[in-house]
Amino acid sequence: MISGARQARPNFFRRLVAWAQARELAAFVVSGPEAARAIGVDLEAAGLRASHTPRHASVLVLVGELPPGLKRATAVAYAQMPRPRAILAVGVGDVSLLPKPDVAVGPGQEDVAAGAAELRRLFARSAFSPEASDFDVDAIRTQTEYVCPMHPEVVRSEPGSCPICGMDLVPRGAAGVNNLGAADDAGDGTHHGSMDHGSHEQHDAQDEDHGSHGDTGHGEGEHPTAAHDDREEGWDEGREVADHGHSEHDGHGQGGVSHGEHDHAEHQHTDEGDADAHPDGHGDSEHGAHGEHEGHEHTDHGGHDHGGHEHMDHGDMGFMSMVEMTENLPRSSDGLQMEWVEDVPFGPLFPGLPGGLTLTVTLDGDTVAGAEAEGIEGRASAKDLGGLAETLADRLARLDPLSPIAYRVLALRALESAAGVEPDERMVFARVGALEKERAASHLGWLSLFGRLIGYQWLEDRAGSFQLALVRAASIDEVARLWVEAGRLSRRVEKTPLLRRKLRGVGLLPEEAEPLGPVARAAGVGRDARADEEIYQSLGFESVIREGDDALSRLRVRLTEIEQSLDLVQKAGEMTIPERTLNGVPLREGSATVETPRGAATLHLTPERGALKDLELDEPSARHLGLVGVVAEQQELADVLVGVASLDLSPWGVAR
Amino acid sequence: MNAVLAILMLLTGAYLVAVLEDWASTGRLRLAGPITSGLALLGRESIVPRQPDRIFFEVAPPLLLVAALLAAAVLPLSPNLIVADLATGALFVNAALAYVMVALLMAGWGPDGAYAMVGGFRFLGQLIAYSMLIVMPITAVAMRAESLFTTEVVESQAALPNAIYQPVGFVAFFVAAMAVAFLPPLDLPTAPGELAGGVMAEYTGWRLAVMRLARAVLVVTLAAAVSVFYLGGWLGPVLPPWAWSAIKTLLVAATMLLAGRYVPRLRETHVLEWGWKIGIPLALLNIFYVGVLLLVV
Repeated sequence: MISGARQARPNFFRRLVAWAQARELAAFVVSGPEAARAIGVDLEAAGLRASHTPRHASVLVLVGELPPGLKRATAVAYAQMPRPRAILAVGVGDVSLLPKPDVAVGPGQEDVAAGAAELRRLFARSAFSPEASDFDVDAIRTQTEYVCPMHPEVVRSEPGSCPICGMDLVPRGAAGVNNLGAADDAGDGTHHGSMDHGSHEQHDAQDEDHGSHGDTGHGEGEHPTAAHDDREEGWDEGREVADHGHSEHDGHGQGGVSHGEHDHAEHQHTDEGDADAHPDGHGDSEHGAHGEHEGHEHTDHGGHDHGGHEHMDHGDMGFMSMVEMTENLPRSSDGLQMEWVEDVPFGPLFPGLPGGLTLTVTLDGDTVAGAEAEGIEGRASAKDLGGLAETLADRLARLDPLSPIAYRVLALRALESAAGVEPDERMVFARVGALEKERAASHLGWLSLFGRLIGYQWLEDRAGSFQLALVRAASIDEVARLWVEAGRLSRRVEKTPLLRRKLRGVGLLPEEAEPLGPVARAAGVGRDARADEEIYQSLGFESVIREGDDALSRLRVRLTEIEQSLDLVQKAGEMTIPERTLNGVPLREGSATVETPRGAATLHLTPERGALKDLELDEPSARHLGLVGVVAEQQELADVLVGVASLDLSPWGVAR
Repeated sequence: MNAVLAILMLLTGAYLVAVLEDWASTGRLRLAGPITSGLALLGRESIVPRQPDRIFFEVAPPLLLVAALLAAAVLPLSPNLIVADLATGALFVNAALAYVMVALLMAGWGPDGAYAMVGGFRFLGQLIAYSMLIVMPITAVAMRAESLFTTEVVESQAALPNAIYQPVGFVAFFVAAMAVAFLPPLDLPTAPGELAGGVMAEYTGWRLAVMRLARAVLVVTLAAAVSVFYLGGWLGPVLPPWAWSAIKTLLVAATMLLAGRYVPRLRETHVLEWGWKIGIPLALLNIFYVGVLLLVV
């Protein structure tokens, strides 16, 4: 029996359906089809069609290791898949939280093809079973509380109406159960948690509810972590400012806080009379009692816009006009008071963004009022990487599955610098070859993902199969052939109608942003660690630089770099890194920098009695992640996604 | 009898469109694909979101189907094979298609999910861009036929199909038809990479099957409308009239399905901007041009 069988007694019709389902397996891949291709696995060829949402998938495919944050997100995605459903693990060790995989295989194409065939057999045989059990994991369960949209101090465990104003109570996730918002990949948030029961059409009231609309308004966001609380307070105060005539909501804790301080002064000054009308009780219940942010509807009762209203007392209010409903809501920058949809999660398993990246946006219509991006929770940080020097390269290579070779080379170079030895020439060339091959493959993976995001299906398919061919390429001749194709691909993309119009001017960065890697080179800044290296100079390397600083120029830089990297691989003549041992060499402090596909990463080593203790790792994605807020602010949702995707963030490249 | 035959033809068309769509997206031609995927969907859970607007959520997929079927009812397959040959046929197509927007907005609002809601409201914006480009080209077509009977519209093209007689109207209507059917690159309400399915994201199991069927029927209907208004419908040598209708409709549908593969999705602002700043002036020009032709020639 498959783990996610649908509870029913098999009969003729159900057997027929199971047979059909076995032929129509749609795979939701964690952490994304790019991750599978990066290890040379082609799921389409194995007969598993990719599905962009768990809702429309029947097989959950796990690829590679999953850190805790991703595991939880995966469990939620699994709970969202309608049954019958099954799990295929490709080269995964630990899958706690999830049911035991129905089929577990190694990371080779034949293994995966055999696994998919086995899965089809299992599906046809046991998609329906009377003994099917529920999938119910505490870690992804949330509880629902019911609060009054106007009076946050009214919290009940059951639906009903508010004793003060008589409005219907609206549900929200209870505080502190866990941080599910970030884990809801389908973004609607309405059905995660344990939405899994024997019967099919009822759903326990155990979910929280993000981004819902209707009369629920705001105030249901759940922010259990301290960091979030801070940010939200910042927001609240920022919004008070907005009601006082300013119209800025920049979704950053710091920005908001500074606004807030500014506001306090002004507040005192401008409406002293209202100070009384600011019931302290509200303030307390907001940030105190429940330890979380709830409902800022009432953050500034009696702001000077509506001085006449005093603070809203709904004691005997049955009906509420639209004006009254929205009067205390934050104002958008266009001056309209609208219902914001807060904390809509795009990720960590969103089809158009790298698997693991969580983009949390506040929507104002389809404009983004604020956004924040986070990497994968539970990824090892530099501090956890200490230990034996011999295995440092292996440990670092596992850090980021999107560019393992760059991290391996980084570790090797840092060790060599610490040991004070120079690698021989052959080794240097081999490293250049391996690095550049990985860079081209990484850019192709990005290109495929980008194609999916912007709805350019030909590009998604073409870049995907190109990436696969490159990852599998074993000889320099093959790379030479692919190099010719890369030129063709690049010219074809350039000529695509409507593409330039779509991307130009999207994802602009402010002057003071100091991006790295391709993002910097797309802004006309030649920030490239390779330019300083002798070996690259001897190969005639010149940084690819484009002007524009938008999604279009980033696309162009990467397209050109694919070609350039494949050319460098040919010149280097090798593409596998030879083994390197530094046994017995005394280590001092050392550091090294490598230009990864996403920008320069720097590692600093301080050995202590033969073991490595304090590692300092500076990764490009950590810096780029901070730029997401600026890229997103006040842009249309589609442009925000394009802008964020154009940064090529690696969710693995940020310790959290 | 006519109605049964027409519905059978329509369903066959929807089936073929589903095969074509699968082929356009995967590159594999699987003739049994729609049957197995339909069966597979019927056997899966059809999940209802936790706080749906139940009526909207349930009504949207059938409403989409009904809107497409209503529009198809006035489109002739051959001189006699038409469900309802209304005196206002050409306008009725437009009226029936208005419910596509209603259905998608309901599908967006119903499930109480952010992706779906953004998708639904995006389509409302899209409607503002495309609706004039449906009705104004039809006006010019009706001017030439001097009738709103769809059968007479076809007969008016005996000498020269409208696609050549008024190419500007043809292009405008073709693009607008793709927008009605939310086909890429105008798939803003579903936007797989941006909204993870948008208005379709929350539908699973048999409800999703109805939604997909409705979409396929909608594509066939719009392709048939293009064929009737611009490509001379059943007119053609040698083959029987219904065969010509079928061939033209399927060719138009295939073109619509394939076109989106090679271009990125349009931005909402561009859809609106181009719809109003370029599309509507061109459509007006087309009406004027056809008027001049009718008076002078």
